[in-house]
Amino acid sequence: MEKTEELNFLSALWPFIGIIFLIVLGVLLLNQQFNKKLYAQKLEKEKLKAQHQFELLQSSIAVQEEERKRIARDLHDELGAALSMTRMHLMQIEQQNAKQDTELATRLQSVRSMTEKALASMRRISHELMPPQLESFGLLQTLETIATDLNRLDQLHIEIVAPGNFNRLPMPIELGLYRVCMELINNTIRHAQADYISIRLQQQHGRLLLDYRDNGKGLPESFTKKGIGQRSIETRMHSLGASFEMKNHKDGGMHMSVEIKTEASYI
Amino acid sequence: METSAHNFNLPKLIIIFSFLPVFLSATYALIVYRRLEKKLKLFSIFLFVSGIMQLISGIMWWNKVNNMPLLHLYVAGGFICILLFYREIFRDVLHHNVLLVIGAIFLLFTLYNAFPLELLFRFNSKVLTAESVLIIIFSLSTFMLLLNAESNEVLITERKTLNWINSGFFIYYSSSLLIFYFSDVMARVFPVYLNQNTWILHSFFSIIMYSCFIIALWKRPKSLIS
Repeated sequence: MEKTEELNFLSALWPFIGIIFLIVLGVLLLNQQFNKKLYAQKLEKEKLKAQHQFELLQSSIAVQEEERKRIARDLHDELGAALSMTRMHLMQIEQQNAKQDTELATRLQSVRSMTEKALASMRRISHELMPPQLESFGLLQTLETIATDLNRLDQLHIEIVAPGNFNRLPMPIELGLYRVCMELINNTIRHAQADYISIRLQQQHGRLLLDYRDNGKGLPESFTKKGIGQRSIETRMHSLGASFEMKNHKDGGMHMSVEIKTEASYI
Repeated sequence: METSAHNFNLPKLIIIFSFLPVFLSATYALIVYRRLEKKLKLFSIFLFVSGIMQLISGIMWWNKVNNMPLLHLYVAGGFICILLFYREIFRDVLHHNVLLVIGAIFLLFTLYNAFPLELLFRFNSKVLTAESVLIIIFSLSTFMLLLNAESNEVLITERKTLNWINSGFFIYYSSSLLIFYFSDVMARVFPVYLNQNTWILHSFFSIIMYSCFIIALWKRPKSLIS
């Protein structure tokens, strides 16, 4: 009788091991599910964070460009008008006193010349801040104008290559690429000791491809240490959602390729 | 559950004393109910159900009436409340239907074990074992979820309260699992005094569980009160 009860107890004990196993399995399955969901939520959060940072960057660049535009307009309309008026008055006084007092006329001529220089500098700064032809004629024509101006100096030859049917792009892209090209041209002139720059533009299936090359001494080996210009290029590229690569070309010189989705929406 | 009443001795006093934390926690939950957020409101409903059931079963026990059918009802009702409470905790990390399906299967299992009607007057060992297994799984998973740094901020704010509730459930159900599972064998194999001692031990675990619940409600996040 005692043995039968012991057997009863043992036969009840075995399924209990199954119950423990069930508990462990249940906990593991639930936790696997939790981890999966938590990981998905984390990814979603990171995505939102990146999107927020991207929007912040775009908005900060948009504000910066708006401010540049305002300063360029104010310089041109207010300071430019004031300097033009000064120059006109100086010319009038110069004409009135030219015969009576030659020394005064020479001094007036000198002041007028300084005023003209200030006016020219003001125009240059204003155009650099916001080139008026970019808004009216687009990136390609603006780059061609700059190339023509620089080619006249006979120290550097800039070649702009683009298909005949090259279309206008959204303004943030045109402005961003213009700033990047200007930064690159500036770097080539200041550091690369190059005499040739080639800028190629292509449009393919809603994407813009830009290829910049010079025949200078290329990027320094310690390129990992980024300067302000380099950081500015990277920031602008990120704000446009562009992918880009900057490296030394195998035939010498620096090479940068940029690819931008032109159908994306911008601020 | 049914024991001869009116004859007080230490074991009986302990069993009677085990009712006290149940009523205390239910009363406290009733007082603060309107200030609790959804999860704790669902949990409070479980405390109300427990309080009412304990009161009725106590009266029946006092009047020497078999209160086993009430236990069947209490297990089903109580488990659904606990399930809804855990469903709220797992809301962001588990598909909301998973626990509902588990609840439906459990109710069917409870019904299956209550028929024929004669079984209503016997101890529902299998159902209580199943309930214990499920609640141990939920409580252990909640502990792991609360330890996970990626858990949402609301859960982290309520961590203290949830830990107390979870600890209560885990201590009670993991300790009582053996008692529930072996109750039939124990009734047949063990002498009466040993059986009684087992149920005293069960009462002790119940006191611990409801004490944890009182602390949980006491330590609820006051800043989240709407």
